[in-house]
Amino acid sequence: MTTPTRRQHTLEVLVENEPGVLARVAGLFARRMYNIDSLNVGPTQDPTISKMIIVVGVEGHSLEQVIAQLDKLISVISINEILADTKATDHGVTPDYQN
Amino acid sequence: MTHVPTANGTKMTGATSLVKSLEAAGVDVMFGIPGGAILPAYDPIFDSTIRHILVRHEQGAGHAATGYAQVTGRAGVCIATSGPGATNLVTPLMDAAMDSVPLVAITGQVPTAAIGTDAFQEADIRGITMPFTKHSYLVTDPADIPRAVAEAFHIANTGRPGPVLIDIAKDALQKETTFNWSETIKLAGYKPQIAPNQSAIDDAAALIAQSAKPVFYIGGGVIKANAAPELCQLVELLGAPVVTTLMARGAFPDSHPLHMGMPGMHGTVAAVTSLQKADLLITLGARFDDRVTGKLSTFAVNSKVIHADIDPAEIGKNRHADVGIIGDVRETIKALIPALKIALAKQRADLTPWLNSINNLKSTYSLGFDIPEDGSLSPQLVIQRIGQISGTDTIFTSGVGQHQMWASQFISYEKPRTWLNSGGAGTMGYGVPAAMGAKVGAPEATVWAIDGDGCFQMTNQELVTCALNNIPIKVAIINNESLGMVRQWQTLFYEGRYSNTSLDSKRIPNFPMLAEAMGCVGLACDNPADLDKTIEMAMSINDQPVVVDFRVHKDAMVWPMVAAGTSNDDIMIARATAPDWDSQEL
Repeated sequence: MTTPTRRQHTLEVLVENEPGVLARVAGLFARRMYNIDSLNVGPTQDPTISKMIIVVGVEGHSLEQVIAQLDKLISVISINEILADTKATDHGVTPDYQN
Repeated sequence: MTHVPTANGTKMTGATSLVKSLEAAGVDVMFGIPGGAILPAYDPIFDSTIRHILVRHEQGAGHAATGYAQVTGRAGVCIATSGPGATNLVTPLMDAAMDSVPLVAITGQVPTAAIGTDAFQEADIRGITMPFTKHSYLVTDPADIPRAVAEAFHIANTGRPGPVLIDIAKDALQKETTFNWSETIKLAGYKPQIAPNQSAIDDAAALIAQSAKPVFYIGGGVIKANAAPELCQLVELLGAPVVTTLMARGAFPDSHPLHMGMPGMHGTVAAVTSLQKADLLITLGARFDDRVTGKLSTFAVNSKVIHADIDPAEIGKNRHADVGIIGDVRETIKALIPALKIALAKQRADLTPWLNSINNLKSTYSLGFDIPEDGSLSPQLVIQRIGQISGTDTIFTSGVGQHQMWASQFISYEKPRTWLNSGGAGTMGYGVPAAMGAKVGAPEATVWAIDGDGCFQMTNQELVTCALNNIPIKVAIINNESLGMVRQWQTLFYEGRYSNTSLDSKRIPNFPMLAEAMGCVGLACDNPADLDKTIEMAMSINDQPVVVDFRVHKDAMVWPMVAAGTSNDDIMIARATAPDWDSQEL
């Protein structure tokens, strides 16, 4: 039996340090069914900017789509991928559903 | 539209600062209802140059602001108090987000000290609306009001348009502040890309020139970007067929010979099939919605895709793009025209066989409907005649359901911003308040709401607002005494078990009397012989809203249809009837 490999990506996300910014990011991941493996928030040298380190498990979604949706949040200033699990394989799954 | 106000540097309350900021942002009208938490703002509104239209329900304010925005291209403004006032804006905000409508919603919030205490009329409206606002603010310091307003309008109107919420604590409205309006927007995390990348344009042009079976797949973004004239030039340069989605009706003239109609669940056979059989989709301001693609894994399987959109997250979201172009779609089309001329000079595929086969489908499977044998009124005929009699300068809105689909099929749209509907959200009840907002935004235009008897009963209270505020809209209730589209699905997929879809609206309410009670003219029509003269009567009344109860045949269905979750290849032109594919060469 093999366990499906999930590709993990670590994103360094600079955000405006303002109330509600964590809810914006967490809510986006929840409503678009993206998996957060871990999320840390900390200060930067600029008190108006916070840094989030988000480890995201990409399954059924492309990393590009996760980043593009995250980038639409006005409070998100920049997104950089800092580590990639190169051993895992990419799962290109196209959404198919009916409603 | 904006200007630096002379009041800069003067002391005033947060409430006055809000109104001065809205004036500085160029707001000329807003729709709303006062209440406790927003009440301080209503005092300076009393003296403002901004026309405030007092609606009867906040949902009406939100959809009216949307109708106004869809007609004018400028952000619509709605205003409500805290708690239930604010939550009544939830549906319009979601609706505006789904259809990319620029909207600014202002809500009062309980005083800062009471936030988080479950105070009277407290609701975390910013939290509630976070999934479908483009951005949102909770303002607790009056000094932040001008900046929040300036940013909100900038965000709502630029990039991919969308709704922005400003929630303002009551004490921030009451406190003294020094007014300071600035045009300078500093948003480190918001820089929409307007100009397309030239190499992507060149790649797209080369792909188009190689293609033997291209189709222009046109979405609502073309209307948002005011790109209809440029689109026409591009289409005529290539000579390829065009389809316009539900949100793009009017972006390309229906009368144009290259127009194949609307694609999607209730699209024409020609439009749906042209997408399915294409070798290239030239996608402009559209988003591969499930109502267009049908079962995604079977959608246009042999086609390459050029996808141009201002929202980078749309590129590749549902369908892989061979060439993605991020930018304002008008700028994209303007760049594509010269690039395509160069590419076509080197190589030009013969599109004649492709056009012949699609045109053959267009003529064989043109949209039509059966006239009921019992002499009753056909809903499609009513809508078609309203379109023909009122003309192509008329603005149409609709609710959601069968009447919406027929209004998209049987009215000929020749100009952008003449067809307003709730496409992504599918909000029943959108029609009347959106028509109100449209008429305020375009007072010279005839505005018809094509509504259903179900939809009409959700939001008709705004006819009182229309009657009292000299907003003479016209409403056609396509009264089939049922939730028609749901009933159609019950007919097709639930063995005709009509669970809770009969509204009995030919018995109750009496729509003409209801209309008269709300200060409108109420008319009724139940037979084809009276149809034209009833419509002409409604057209002749311009000093009052008019409501016409068109009592139509209830078994009419919307065709063609691609059933939910099935492939576009399985399009039906009538019940259990597929097109005769054997006679077609594609």
